[in-house]
Amino acid sequence: MNCVELQQSLANTEDASTAEQRAHVKGCPACAALVKELNVIVAAAGELREADEPSPRVWNSIEAALRQEGLIRPAPHPLEPSFSGRWGAFGWLVPAMAMLLIALGIYLRREQAPRELAHQPTLATSAAAADLSDDDFLQEIAANTPTMKVQYEENLRRVNESIREAEGLVRESPYDGEARQSLLDAYQQKSMLFEMAMDRPLP
Amino acid sequence: MFSARAAKLVTLGVVVAGTLIAETKKEYHFSVGAKAGISVNNPYGSISVKPSLNNTVVVDAVLHSDKVEVDNNQTGNRVDIQSHLLPGADADSGRVDYEIWVPADASITLHCSDGSLRAEKLHGDVTLEGAGAAVDVRDVSDGHVHVRTMNGAVNLDNIQNGHVEVNSLSGDVTMRSVTGPLVQVVSTSGRINYIGDFGNSGEYRLTSHSGDIEATIPEWTSADVSARSVRGEVHDDIPLQPKTHTWFPLDKGRAFAGTMGRVAMSSTVILRTFSGKIHLRKRPEKQ
Repeated sequence: MNCVELQQSLANTEDASTAEQRAHVKGCPACAALVKELNVIVAAAGELREADEPSPRVWNSIEAALRQEGLIRPAPHPLEPSFSGRWGAFGWLVPAMAMLLIALGIYLRREQAPRELAHQPTLATSAAAADLSDDDFLQEIAANTPTMKVQYEENLRRVNESIREAEGLVRESPYDGEARQSLLDAYQQKSMLFEMAMDRPLP
Repeated sequence: MFSARAAKLVTLGVVVAGTLIAETKKEYHFSVGAKAGISVNNPYGSISVKPSLNNTVVVDAVLHSDKVEVDNNQTGNRVDIQSHLLPGADADSGRVDYEIWVPADASITLHCSDGSLRAEKLHGDVTLEGAGAAVDVRDVSDGHVHVRTMNGAVNLDNIQNGHVEVNSLSGDVTMRSVTGPLVQVVSTSGRINYIGDFGNSGEYRLTSHSGDIEATIPEWTSADVSARSVRGEVHDDIPLQPKTHTWFPLDKGRAFAGTMGRVAMSSTVILRTFSGKIHLRKRPEKQ
């Protein structure tokens, strides 16, 4: 079981009581910390209910006042059992489970955010991608007419040269905003060239 | 000899007739409302768009063979025209030439791989794209003009009061009387030639990595101009009030920056090239 599988399994058994869960938690400090936090939340939810429950006299006084004002009418015959009737003493489990799921969602989101940020394109990533796709580009344009194929190849050569020159300029003057802009322009031109090649007509 | 000559003439006549027969003309009409959207995707051939006199889109298509057909579709206020290549089609047999009339406030999107794209006298947005297509846009006002081309020449004439964005890899870009809040041209190796006065406001950014940039402007232009060529040369025929502080080095012969005309109402002009030449020319008065 890996971390993702453990986190998904916690929705069913939140105390990590299965053998698989226990084995993973034993060897994974991050998941052990998560299970501990979730257990704290579950325990706190129970205590909250007991601490804030008003005394029966309060409920009786409220009921009397509402009857006096005519706001309480005879209850209709229930078609379904009421919530408390259905859950009984375990009614506190529902909000506790809700809090557990929210905490799990927050934890998973925090884990995913660094991965998402790592995948956002950077100038360096675009540069590497631009170089790696030339073979795909040449394969794509192979089906064009010979004249268009030559023109695509020539434009690829020119745009690659412009990228190399712009990269050289950025290396010479890394704080020159215009140098960086010229590199970005060159990448965008290459991207446009690729789009045009991919967009060729198909009979 | 006579019979041989006659045979040749007959053969020629048959070939010409055959060509004419192979060409098919089709016409389509669509009723649209205000600010309609029209898109045409035509891999091979020309597309010419002009304004119509009413709220009707009229499409005249000349198909050069039976290896291509025209798919047309209208959804609400949007009309889509597509040249559908059939098996065996090539650049000649798949060619369709379109003449289209649209309401002047319509927005058009034209796509052509090899041919020509032309639009004139419109007030809506104009988007033209084609790898090898020559682009010609004239007399467009109050709409945005977007052009993307690989090596097709781009010609813009009398474009007013809209955003103009041109991306050309190696095609030359020529602009005459093009003004607006934003005029931006980016090219890898194409030449950029601007003839006009840069309006009295707006941002003009002309960039070519290795192509030359030439701007021919009247002496009374009001503009804040900066020009820079990293490895090439810059020339300035118009006296500018020089700026002493810029955020790039003002190497003599490689960069200049200054203002001309009325500073209170002036455009920002940015001319940039890596290895091309930049030349700011004075327009002769009687041009």
